[in-house]
Amino acid sequence: MVDIVNIRAHAKDLLEKGTVKMVLGYQRGTAGVLAEPAFITDAGQADHLVWDPTCVQNLALYLVNEKKAQSHQRDPDTRPIAIIAKGCDSRAVAVLLQERHFERKDVHVIGVSCGTLGVVDKNKLSKALNGRVATKVEPHGTDSFKVTTAEGFVDVAAADVLADRCLECACAYPAMHDVVFGEKHEDRGYPARFTALGQLEAKSEDERWAYWEGHFNRCLRCYACRSVCPMCYCPECVVDSIELMVDPTTSADEKANRIKWIERSAVASENSMYHLVRAIHLAGRCIDCAECERVCPVDIPIRMLNNKLEKEAKDMFGYEPGLDPELPSLVASFRDDDPNSFIR
Amino acid sequence: MASTPTQTPKDPSVFEPRIVAFLCKWCSSAGSDLAGVSRMQYPSNAVPITVMCSGSVSPVYILSAFNKGADGVLVSGCHPGDCHYLKGNYFARRKIFLVQKLLSFIGIEKDRFRMSWVSAAEGAKFAQVVEEFVRDIRTLGPQRKLKAKR
Ligand code: SF4
Ligand code: SF4
Repeated sequence: MVDIVNIRAHAKDLLEKGTVKMVLGYQRGTAGVLAEPAFITDAGQADHLVWDPTCVQNLALYLVNEKKAQSHQRDPDTRPIAIIAKGCDSRAVAVLLQERHFERKDVHVIGVSCGTLGVVDKNKLSKALNGRVATKVEPHGTDSFKVTTAEGFVDVAAADVLADRCLECACAYPAMHDVVFGEKHEDRGYPARFTALGQLEAKSEDERWAYWEGHFNRCLRCYACRSVCPMCYCPECVVDSIELMVDPTTSADEKANRIKWIERSAVASENSMYHLVRAIHLAGRCIDCAECERVCPVDIPIRMLNNKLEKEAKDMFGYEPGLDPELPSLVASFRDDDPNSFIR
Repeated sequence: MASTPTQTPKDPSVFEPRIVAFLCKWCSSAGSDLAGVSRMQYPSNAVPITVMCSGSVSPVYILSAFNKGADGVLVSGCHPGDCHYLKGNYFARRKIFLVQKLLSFIGIEKDRFRMSWVSAAEGAKFAQVVEEFVRDIRTLGPQRKLKAKR
C-alpha cells in the first residue's frame, strides 16, 4: 500500500531543501473524479498531492514541456524536477533519457508502485456504476476498488474498471526510481501482455482492414494523441510542417513546393497515413501508457497500433522500450542475426 | 467503378501495376542499370527512385508512395555486409520489417511491399525481382486502400 502521507512528506522535504524546483504530481481534479496534474513549487502546497487509482496521466509529458520552455528562458532554473511516476511513467522517463532529452541528474523520480491494481478507465467506471457518478476511488484489498458515489459506497472488481493497459501491464513497479513507494508484485493475475492485440491479429486481412478503415475514417485529426504523448516532442511534425514562413512576399511557388507528406484534410486515406506514421515513429519508444487512446475524443484504438510494433520488436529483436536508458534505441541499432528471410 | 489510370495507353482495361522502387545508388541502382545495358527483358512497371542508401528510405517515403497511388513499393539495397556506408542496410532491414508488419496488421496485402538485396553485379536478379513483383501485384489488382481519394 502506498500512503500519500509519505509521498507528501518526501515532496515537502525536497522542496524545503530546494533540491528540486518543482514536484510534478497529482491533485484532486475539478472536472469529475479523475485527478489532475499538479505542479508543486512551494513546500506549503505539498499537501495538495494525492495518489489513488484516478491518477491516470503520464506526467513525463511535462518534463518534456519544461525542457522546451527552458530553452526559451534567458536564465533558466536548472535544478532537477521531481516526478511522481507509475511503472509506465518511469519507463517513459527512461526512454526520454535514452534519447538524451535530458539527463539523469535533471530528474528525481518518485516511483509509486501500482501493486496488484492500476488506474481506472473512466468509461468503464461509469458503465460499472450504471450511471451513478463516482466522486472518489480508493484501492480496496488487492483486487477491487471502493468507489464513493452520492448514494454511498460501491465495491467494484478491479478487473472490470482497470484501464486496458493496466490489465496487461508487466511493469507496475517502477524499475527506474530515486525513491519508491509501494511493493513489487510478480504475478498480478490479469491477462498476459498483448492478449487484446492477439485477438485483433487473429482476424482475417479483410476484417482487419474493415476495422481500421472504419476507425481511421472517424479520426478528426485533432492531434490530441500527439499532444499528450511524451515521446512526440518534435518541434515540427512531419504531418504538418509549420516552419515555412508565409508572409506577403512568399511566392506561390514556394508555398506549393513545400514538402507535404500528408494532406491536412481529415479523410480516410490521409488519416491512415497519419496513424501509420505516428505508430512507426513511436516504434521502440512507446511504453504503452495509453494516454493517446485515453484522450482521443472519438475512441480510436490507437493503443493496438503501438502494441503491434512493441510486440514485433520484442519477438523479433528482443527489444523492450524503457528498460535501460543506456541501450541504443530500436531503430538506431541492429543485430547481425535480425530476421532476413522476408527479403528477396 | 473508375478504372485506375495506367501508363500504357494501349489497352486501359488491362491492369498495369505501378511500382515505386527505391534503389540504393551503390548496388541496386547499378544492378538495374546492368539489367538495362545487358538488354534483359523485364516489365517496365517499376519507377526507379535512386536513394543514397536503403537505410535512408524513411517509412514516410513508403507510405507516401502508397498514398500517391503506387500498387506496390520495393526497397532494394546492397547485400548484408556490402553496404557502402557499412551499416545502412542493417538499419533498413529493421525499419522495413516493422513497416511491413504494420501494413499487414491494418489489412494491406503483404505482397504489396517488398525488400530485396540486389548487388551491382546482379542485373538478372533485379529483373527477376521486378518480374515476380509485377506478377504478384497483377493478381492482387490495384491498390485502393491507402490511395488518396482526392
Ligand atoms: S486519433 Fe483521436 S486523438 Fe488522435 S487525431 Fe484522431 S481523433 Fe484526435
Ligand atoms: S504513443 Fe500513446 S501509449 Fe505510447 S507513449 Fe505515446 S501516449 Fe503513451
